[in-house]
Amino acid sequence: MTQIPIDFGFREEHELLRQQSRRLLEERCPLSEVRRLSEDPLGWDPAVWKELGALGWVGLALPEAHGGAGLGFLPLSFVLEEMGRHLLPSPYLPSLLAAFAIENGGSEVQKARWLPGIASGEKIATLALTEPSGGFEAASVQATAEPTEGGWVLRGQKTHVLAATSAHFLVAPFREPSGRVELFVIELPAKGVCLETEIGVDATRRAARVAFEGVRVSREARLEGRGEVALRRTHVQGFAALAAEMVGAADAALAMTRDYAINRKQFGRQIGFFQAVKHPIVDILIGVELSRNHVLGAASALDHAPADAETAARMAKALASDVFAVAVRKGVQLHGGYGFTIDCDMHLLFKRALWSRATLGDGAYHRRLLAQALLDHDAAGAETS
Amino acid sequence: MSTPQDEVEPKEIEEFRVEVRAWMEANKPADPGFKLPQSFLEVESDRQFDFLRDWQRKVYEAGYLGLDWPAEYGGKGDPLKRQRVVSQELSRARAPFLVNVIGLQWAGPTILVYGTDAQKKRMLKPILSAEEIWCQGFSEPGSGSDLASAQARAEKQGDGSYRVTGHKVWTTLAHKARWMILLARTDPSAGKYAGLSFFLFPMDVPGVEVQPLIKMTGEGGFNQVIFTDAPMPGDALLGKEGQGWDVALTTLLFERGAAEGSGGGQATASAESVRRLVSVARRARRDGGTAADDPVYRDRMVALWIEEEGLRLSSLRMRIPELNADRPQVLRLMNKLVFSEYNQKLTELACEMLGPEATLWLGDPCAIDRADWPRAYMNSFGMTIGGGTSEILRNVVGERVLGLPKTK
Repeated sequence: MTQIPIDFGFREEHELLRQQSRRLLEERCPLSEVRRLSEDPLGWDPAVWKELGALGWVGLALPEAHGGAGLGFLPLSFVLEEMGRHLLPSPYLPSLLAAFAIENGGSEVQKARWLPGIASGEKIATLALTEPSGGFEAASVQATAEPTEGGWVLRGQKTHVLAATSAHFLVAPFREPSGRVELFVIELPAKGVCLETEIGVDATRRAARVAFEGVRVSREARLEGRGEVALRRTHVQGFAALAAEMVGAADAALAMTRDYAINRKQFGRQIGFFQAVKHPIVDILIGVELSRNHVLGAASALDHAPADAETAARMAKALASDVFAVAVRKGVQLHGGYGFTIDCDMHLLFKRALWSRATLGDGAYHRRLLAQALLDHDAAGAETS
Repeated sequence: MSTPQDEVEPKEIEEFRVEVRAWMEANKPADPGFKLPQSFLEVESDRQFDFLRDWQRKVYEAGYLGLDWPAEYGGKGDPLKRQRVVSQELSRARAPFLVNVIGLQWAGPTILVYGTDAQKKRMLKPILSAEEIWCQGFSEPGSGSDLASAQARAEKQGDGSYRVTGHKVWTTLAHKARWMILLARTDPSAGKYAGLSFFLFPMDVPGVEVQPLIKMTGEGGFNQVIFTDAPMPGDALLGKEGQGWDVALTTLLFERGAAEGSGGGQATASAESVRRLVSVARRARRDGGTAADDPVYRDRMVALWIEEEGLRLSSLRMRIPELNADRPQVLRLMNKLVFSEYNQKLTELACEMLGPEATLWLGDPCAIDRADWPRAYMNSFGMTIGGGTSEILRNVVGERVLGLPKTK
């Protein structure tokens, strides 16, 4: 865990991007807008989505050869943090992760075919990872791909697929008869793809259950790189991306609780005076800052030290999941009776925290896998100090 | 004080690191064969002290201390980066700690900020060489977390000198110290804060009695100091009369690692790391296997690993202002709090995993790692209490960083 550059690879232009994304989202996406969109059938504002595409945010970390800006994961993590802070309802995350999957697994021809559309925001894409078993790793893929004349037939189910009803294409892993797991790109709508909208706890995330009932796709729909390798790297990017979002959202919960502790008076004092209120808020702050460190570490590793990226991203996802959970739990509690009404904005963050922790593995899940790196291989154990 | 610019290229730093690492390997003292203290808080015997003092002198003479202090005061005027490299390498080599911690890390940097040229010339070099050891007279029996309520009195005499009367506690190394940084009340009629002054007190004057305090580990090294009309020259004053609280706050920033500029070195033998915890887990027997197979312990060890890595990343992030733009102070202010609590959890977990093995104490031939773990767990409270308790530091962070209402 020592291979990342000591400055994380940070550059001045990254900071500008952070400021730009914060300003824009403050303007376009105040919580009143999040509330409005929560009731909206589509669930996000197409004008804002178009603007993000025009600003190049979807393609920020994608290769320049395929319509991206090639800036790397570090600046992307800043943008994601701001999106989390503002709870931006958007197909951004699913498009981003689908693009990563195509970049990781696709041939040059495949990348050229799909990435520019995603990078510009013209096309919405999504990545379908979770199966009804709850697993998202290659080992838990039960959906099948059978070879047929001129292509493949896909069968199986995926759940919690973000933006599925709006997506122009969907990327998902399927198991071939040989037992190998490969990634496929399915252009939507397609015959045999059945979508059932989920009613989610977090109304800022729109998802569906997707059934593949003998879906025929062409030979080129299968990404040519090794599916399990591409999938694993996509997971790691997903852990880091979610962690970045969660840090922003947890920071928003912290700010909201801090403001309330200053404005609310009881016993003739601001409640933030009392250490039973003050100290838990400080613990959230510390958690947020340590999580931010890990997001920087993971982003930097993805950019500069691929061998460290998985460990770093798992750490980031594990810590951010727990910190965000504490931030909203204490956030509701310290707002008192008001905190537990629908009028208080904390519930928006609370619901996002439930979603974020459950998606792509919670703290316990990642710590279990990190324990293997720490304890079951001597080399990894020796590298930890 | 000097504000070192980070102009040295990483390549130069890398070469310097290689050089220091090689020097540590070649010069790190062998195990002396007697029990060494785990930190500067428990230096008891003369042989422990002499051993540690010789080591610090050797490091200084090799040119590895005070790198970022001005050359005219015994330093080298180098960028701070180089001193950090030495501190990191001392830790990495698991070298003995540098005994004059209070001089190097707290008194020295404070003198650099507030001292007159004469004070800097007189005091700084012997700090680096360990020729003169320093202790700290801040806390009193009635003034712990509420430090500014200190009552020790420094009464000005007609000739401009002072007489000190009072009682200071938790004075680590007072039994070896030539000097003390002393917080004392010069004007009892002024306010709580305005009545305080900060002194560089000579410990060799009459009227100073050093009595040992024994910690729960049974170790000494920790003292109380009773002053009875002890004479102190006028030029012992650091800063101005009545400015003592500001000066003391500066010292506390250095003490808590919230400001950089120390003469170098590390305060403990080595931060206990998750890496050592793993070695404990592998030796700790459990149900026919080891604690390293137990899912609950595995989870807790990884949680600490994540904290440890988070602290390491803090030290990188701290140096990039843009990455701290929202809360410029937070990483420095929370550092001691997070580190000390991490260290406490880690040493306690080691004891827990070792089970009955961790009930053996110093001197038992079967004690694992010479009973380091129960001892380290007990000693970990030195860090969560000293230099501002974790509770006070939560107030400081909440008030200074988040603007929460003040407790005092």
